[in-house]
Amino acid sequence: MPGKYRVMLIDDEESVRKLMRKSISWESLGMEVAGEAGSGIEAINTIDDIRPDIAFVDISMPFMNGIEFTEVATERYPGLVIIIMTAFDDFEYARKCVSLPVFEYMLKPMVRAEVVKVLERVRAKLDASAPASEDDEDDADIPAEDDLNEKIRKYLDENYTDSKINLTEVAQHFGFSPSYLSRKFKQSTGRNFVEYLTMLRMNRAMELAKENEKMFIAASSVGIPDPNYFGRCFKKFTGKSYSDYAAMHKPGK
Amino acid sequence: MNSEGMKTGKSEVITIGKNGRSLSASLKWILAGIVLVIVISFFISIAIINNNERKSYAMASSENVLRTLSNRISSEMNNYKELTRIIMIDDRLLTFLRSEAYKVDTGMINDARYGVLDILYVTEGVDSVMIFRNDMIMMATNRFFYNYDYKFMNDDSWKKEILDRRGGATFSMNSFGIASRSDNKPVLTIGREINDLLSQKRTGIMIMNISQDVFISMLNELDLDDSVCIMGTDGTYLAGERKLMAFYDEKIPEKDSIITYESGSQGKIVRGCRVDLLPIIIVSATDYGPEGIPYGIVNTLIILMAVLVASAAFYGAYIRSRITKPVFELSKKIDQNEQSGSLVKIEDDMVYSELNMVKDSYNNMIEHVNELITTVIEKEKTVQRMEMRVLQEQIKPHFLYNSLETIGYLAMEAKADEVHDALETLGSFYRNFLSKGSREITLEREINIVKDYIALQKLRYGDIIDDVYDIDDAAAVYIVPKLILQPLVENSIYHGIRVKGERGTIGIKGRVEHGRLHLIVRDTGVGMSEETISSILNKRADYTDARIDGNKSGSFGLWDTIERIRIYSGHDDVVKITSEMGEFTQIEFIIWKTIE
Repeated sequence: MPGKYRVMLIDDEESVRKLMRKSISWESLGMEVAGEAGSGIEAINTIDDIRPDIAFVDISMPFMNGIEFTEVATERYPGLVIIIMTAFDDFEYARKCVSLPVFEYMLKPMVRAEVVKVLERVRAKLDASAPASEDDEDDADIPAEDDLNEKIRKYLDENYTDSKINLTEVAQHFGFSPSYLSRKFKQSTGRNFVEYLTMLRMNRAMELAKENEKMFIAASSVGIPDPNYFGRCFKKFTGKSYSDYAAMHKPGK
Repeated sequence: MNSEGMKTGKSEVITIGKNGRSLSASLKWILAGIVLVIVISFFISIAIINNNERKSYAMASSENVLRTLSNRISSEMNNYKELTRIIMIDDRLLTFLRSEAYKVDTGMINDARYGVLDILYVTEGVDSVMIFRNDMIMMATNRFFYNYDYKFMNDDSWKKEILDRRGGATFSMNSFGIASRSDNKPVLTIGREINDLLSQKRTGIMIMNISQDVFISMLNELDLDDSVCIMGTDGTYLAGERKLMAFYDEKIPEKDSIITYESGSQGKIVRGCRVDLLPIIIVSATDYGPEGIPYGIVNTLIILMAVLVASAAFYGAYIRSRITKPVFELSKKIDQNEQSGSLVKIEDDMVYSELNMVKDSYNNMIEHVNELITTVIEKEKTVQRMEMRVLQEQIKPHFLYNSLETIGYLAMEAKADEVHDALETLGSFYRNFLSKGSREITLEREINIVKDYIALQKLRYGDIIDDVYDIDDAAAVYIVPKLILQPLVENSIYHGIRVKGERGTIGIKGRVEHGRLHLIVRDTGVGMSEETISSILNKRADYTDARIDGNKSGSFGLWDTIERIRIYSGHDDVVKITSEMGEFTQIEFIIWKTIE
């Protein structure tokens, strides 16, 4: 099939992500970098949009480290090829996750030749299993749609503060494929699932900003404990930075 | 010294201190001395007892002799006194005394003499009898053996003693001085006044001389010739051993009393007494009794001595087995400890509580020493471990790799100037960090490390950190353990500022007050909960999974640094942490060395 394999880079250092993106000739491997995330939290929230086939995961990241992320990801995305990037002195961590179905552990700093070698093996593996994972889904017997949407909304209302929630998680919870759920959700609500979840969180965040809550506390209390990612989400949603927003709505003004 | 001890240690297990003889060695001498003293005092006491016994025997026997003899003499002399009474009433004598002076002739005198001699016939002891009429016409039984002092005889003075007795008998030596035997043999003399029975008037004076043979035969009879001397109070020898006369020193013994002239010398006791009412002294020399050892006492003494010797031997053995031997064993054990080099407690139970006390004290000391050693070793280990971890953790290769990756990225972006700056910073960082291997550096240098570190971190994470420094001159040259600031700054970046998602400031202040360095790192990060602060302050060495836990709690590098400063300073009170959640965290180190 024509599609390139999609790669997601998850590392808390922007320069590392950029370096990877630049230094590897993805094209020639039949791959593309489909997205990046600066933390495990951000990755959980964006992975359903990016839909990667391969993920490079740095082990030591704040808020949700590589292992926690891998635990969540292998459960939700069984086909995802995970490559752990670890610094030598993080080996204790690495030992902890040998039981996880990780494709490869690679030591930092990365050496391009090694990365390329691993990616070639990944490619071979994906090529071999590719056909099976295409057609699937749709159909299934669906309960009354209104009823379903109600249930999903209710579930989200109750669980949006859980930092690990995302489309796939909800889909699995209700027993659908993520793409089906996404489609149905958009059809009936007119909103993208992720947008809806973000809206729930941002509404709550705006309330907290008005109460002059600290940003990092607001971030973790709406389920995005990475304040950097939260900050970006907030600005995207409201058009203002959190601190500006909070200042505007100060009780005195 | 030590190695020598190790060499000789095996062959010579116990070395007695040079300063003192060993208890066991002196014990032998002490015991020998005790036995010797016992034996000597045994013989001395035997001798003393024996001597006393013999002496008291001699005393008793001499008293016995003196009393017997004195009684004998008294009674014999009484007999002679009676005899004078009988003589006094002899008819022929009376005739001689009563007749007128002119009627007295030789015949009359002879008659009187025969009258007297008839009476004397019954006895042997009377040497002679002399009778003087008032007109001094004299009759004597044995006159030709005597020399007379006629001049003195006609003097009245010698009579006085006799006349004073008014008819009673009186004794004297050698005829009151008026006559003496021509052969110079001494006689005891009885003198008395003769009163006429009818007229009751004095008719004359009688003198009876008793021969020394009386006394000689008396001594003979009693077999006392060699050991007794009988003499007159005037020093006249009468009978017995002449040599004894020398002891009589003219002091006339009291009636009934016995004088001891000499006791003990040459095994003799010389004692004397005066015969009652007579001018006679008896001096007796008595040999000490035979070896009059009282066997009862001696046997008791022997048993006592045996008991003493036996008990000395027993105590010797006892002390040896119960004191010196355990002490040797104790000392052996201690020596073994010394040789083996490992300080092991002595478990054997000692026989006595005193030794157990020594053992316990030793064990306590061993325990204390072991504790000290353990503490020192642990402390040194902790220091080394922490320094190792500082090297591994703070300047983990991770940091270098990350920096290299960052620089690599800059290169890819073709930011040549920035690449150069970054490499320079990295070089500077490592130069200061290595500091030629010294463990302690000036604060200024430490600040430089931190500045470079922050510069490199800014490259990695973007320009989210401002750093501000306020170091006074004294503080800049203050010596501190290497890498005490960098972990704090790292802590501030990773667990303070980055997790806040906002731009933050790290302020570093250093000032010296009263010789103490106050080093303050303040960040405007998320702050630290009371719980975290107290867990950091109260945490003690426990390295199990510290890295993982540490990374999660964010306190690991910080705690490590606090512990290093505590050890470096020699006291615990080195850190103050203040914080307000969401606002700031301030960590203040107060560094001064209390120990070298």
